[in-house]
Amino acid sequence: MVNNNLFSSYNQLPNTWDEMYNHKEIVRQPYEKITNFLKNTSSDNLFKKEELAKQLFMSQGVTFTVYNDNEGIEKIFPFDIIPRIITASEWSKIERGIKQRITALNLFIKDIYHDQFIIKDGIIPANLVYSCPNFLREMKNVEVPYDIYTHISGVDLIRNNDGEFYVLEDNLRTPSGVSYMLENREISKRIYPGILPQNQIRSVSNYPNILYKKLKELSDQANPNVVLLTPGIYNSAYYEHTTLARLMGIELVEGNDLVVNDHFVYMKTTNGLKRVDVIYRRIDDDFLDPLEFNASSVLGVAGIMAAYRKGNVNIVNAPGTGIADDKAIYIYVPDMIKYYLNEEPILNNIKTYQLKNPDELEYVEKNITNLVIKKTDGSGGYGMLMGHEASEKEIEDYLKTVKKNPSNFIAQPILRLSTAPCCINGILAPRCIDLRPFAISGRDGIEITPGGLTRVALKEGSLVVNSSQGGGSKDTWVIQ
Amino acid sequence: MLSRVANNLIWLERYMERGNGILSLLKVNYSANQDAPKLFSWSPIIENYAGGINFLTEDPIECIDFMVFKTENPNSIINIVKKARENARSVQEHISRELWLCINNYYHFVTNPNLPNKLKEEDPIIFLDNLQAFHLMFYGCMDVTQERGTSYYFMNVGKYLERVIQISDFTALKLIEIAKTSDSLERSVFWKNLLLSIGGYQLYLKKHKSAFEEKHIITMVFQDKLFPRSLYYSINKLNRHINMLIDANELKKNNIDFLLGKLESTIKYTTIESINEQGLNNFIEEIKEDIRNISFSINTVYFSHSN
Repeated sequence: MVNNNLFSSYNQLPNTWDEMYNHKEIVRQPYEKITNFLKNTSSDNLFKKEELAKQLFMSQGVTFTVYNDNEGIEKIFPFDIIPRIITASEWSKIERGIKQRITALNLFIKDIYHDQFIIKDGIIPANLVYSCPNFLREMKNVEVPYDIYTHISGVDLIRNNDGEFYVLEDNLRTPSGVSYMLENREISKRIYPGILPQNQIRSVSNYPNILYKKLKELSDQANPNVVLLTPGIYNSAYYEHTTLARLMGIELVEGNDLVVNDHFVYMKTTNGLKRVDVIYRRIDDDFLDPLEFNASSVLGVAGIMAAYRKGNVNIVNAPGTGIADDKAIYIYVPDMIKYYLNEEPILNNIKTYQLKNPDELEYVEKNITNLVIKKTDGSGGYGMLMGHEASEKEIEDYLKTVKKNPSNFIAQPILRLSTAPCCINGILAPRCIDLRPFAISGRDGIEITPGGLTRVALKEGSLVVNSSQGGGSKDTWVIQ
Repeated sequence: MLSRVANNLIWLERYMERGNGILSLLKVNYSANQDAPKLFSWSPIIENYAGGINFLTEDPIECIDFMVFKTENPNSIINIVKKARENARSVQEHISRELWLCINNYYHFVTNPNLPNKLKEEDPIIFLDNLQAFHLMFYGCMDVTQERGTSYYFMNVGKYLERVIQISDFTALKLIEIAKTSDSLERSVFWKNLLLSIGGYQLYLKKHKSAFEEKHIITMVFQDKLFPRSLYYSINKLNRHINMLIDANELKKNNIDFLLGKLESTIKYTTIESINEQGLNNFIEEIKEDIRNISFSINTVYFSHSN
């Protein structure tokens, strides 16, 4: 039976690229197979699939705990059952673009912590680098194995109404979400039996194997001890930490499990201390070593930075990569690509205004309803002002804060994030999405798992895809 | 293995074993209480597991509700399962996937907000059986899916440590009741109840028919070699897994093997006459003291690496 209802109220947003329909409301070719399948699926059946997906997330423990009045409640990261599809040619450009970008960013980080040619040549102002809170003086002149700083990156892309992909931000510290990329695919296999092979979708399942291989190669030991350092069970990404450790077959450690002795890092085992060679850490720089950074941190390991500087342990990602994904530095990434690689950027940046420049600040004040203002060191969708939906009072207050320290803020046009069909109450509706592919850099280059995490703003009309603010995710299919 | 992981594996099993024991106790007491509410009141159980909390009712459903769902009761099933899951969650790469799924599903089952209503609507025995089914699945899963090695040995250490403590506790609990009466029929009802709680009733009938003699019951609960919930059997298993760990260099001897060997011999070679001479209660207290020392020694081994 044909489910006519399903597509009946799909109202495309104005001036917005829709992933499924072209501007004439004809289904784009890559979406044909899945839409044909959905047309023949009753709403009731879709509800059942949604219910099955929820159950699977719950029973597999793909959850995070929200604590309220000492009671922990298990929550799942909302999952939309309709996949997002990317074609092979689109993917090829994204892949080349990210590789180019990560290569340049990595060279930039090395340069900043060593000779600083890019400052000396006048490409990037020195005060911008030194005033960045994520610039770590402790990393100056530290020799990093194989000159790799940003081993794991999650570059956030959006598709604008011109159909092109733009880079929203480069997450080069401890990007999360990769376990959802893996888990979403597993769920798709369960809820769409037979559909995936028809569509010839590229597999994502070897991400943990590639990651382990690249981590292992960082050590000069024949059989290095690679561990994953987690802040512990109360962290909202703890599920991801356990999954990656389990799938790589490595030990999941907490700060208290590690100890530094004579500039070597050891883990405390039942038969004594065992040396640790590579640490994939999922704690922020600030908490890494109470002797050098935040002294009250109990999540890190005292003395680990000294061991790192001696080359006795490898920390992944390297401390100090935050200098390169700072929102004020972001503006200079196209210049970096030209400077270090002598290439034109393959992926576009979004037009960004630096509020420290008086004329740009003035422009932003005049056009604030079309702009979003962000803190340069912010993340997770917090602390930003969306000009089109803020009240006059909110705008006034925010601008006051901005003017106290304008160099901490940037502004960007409010973007037209592309929309993709989502199953909302049994029928399809367009919702805004982004894309976070995961890139792993190692001794033999950069590898990017096809697809990545598509995040979706499930609230109607919302542009915020962050999980902390009503966002969800979708499986991402890259078609051969 | 990380010391923290060893510790978590031990506690994971201790909580699962404790949950299973408490559910058996509740089931048996519910049945007995339907026969003789005066003899099998709920207060000793609640006192033993939730000591210090004022809970004054003899309503069976309320008591079961308190023992299963109430978070203010440290040994409520819901708290025990939460702790077991928290321990399992942080050692997922050391336990089999099936075992983790089993505990995680149990957690979601027992924390389902609709479950407490079922207790009020359903037969309480079926209700408790449904909970206990997760424990049985857990035992089966562990046997079939968990590879033999350090993780398995540590888990068994937790399991048998808790079992020894539980058998001692159950027996001590009954001894208090038995001491209150001189009626031999009542006494034999208490003994029978003990056998039911630890799951040895069927075996007893096979061995001794339907005649409840204290000396046979004590021999079976304490010294039987083939009954998996006898003290001797549990200590023997504990000893075996501790020695596997020592052989694998995962546990320093730290006198543990000596303490265990000594306890094993004490239980094996003490005659029923000499138990009677010193009093069963004293005998149990001594065993509990020994177990405390052994447990403490194991703790010292892994805590010595922590800070």
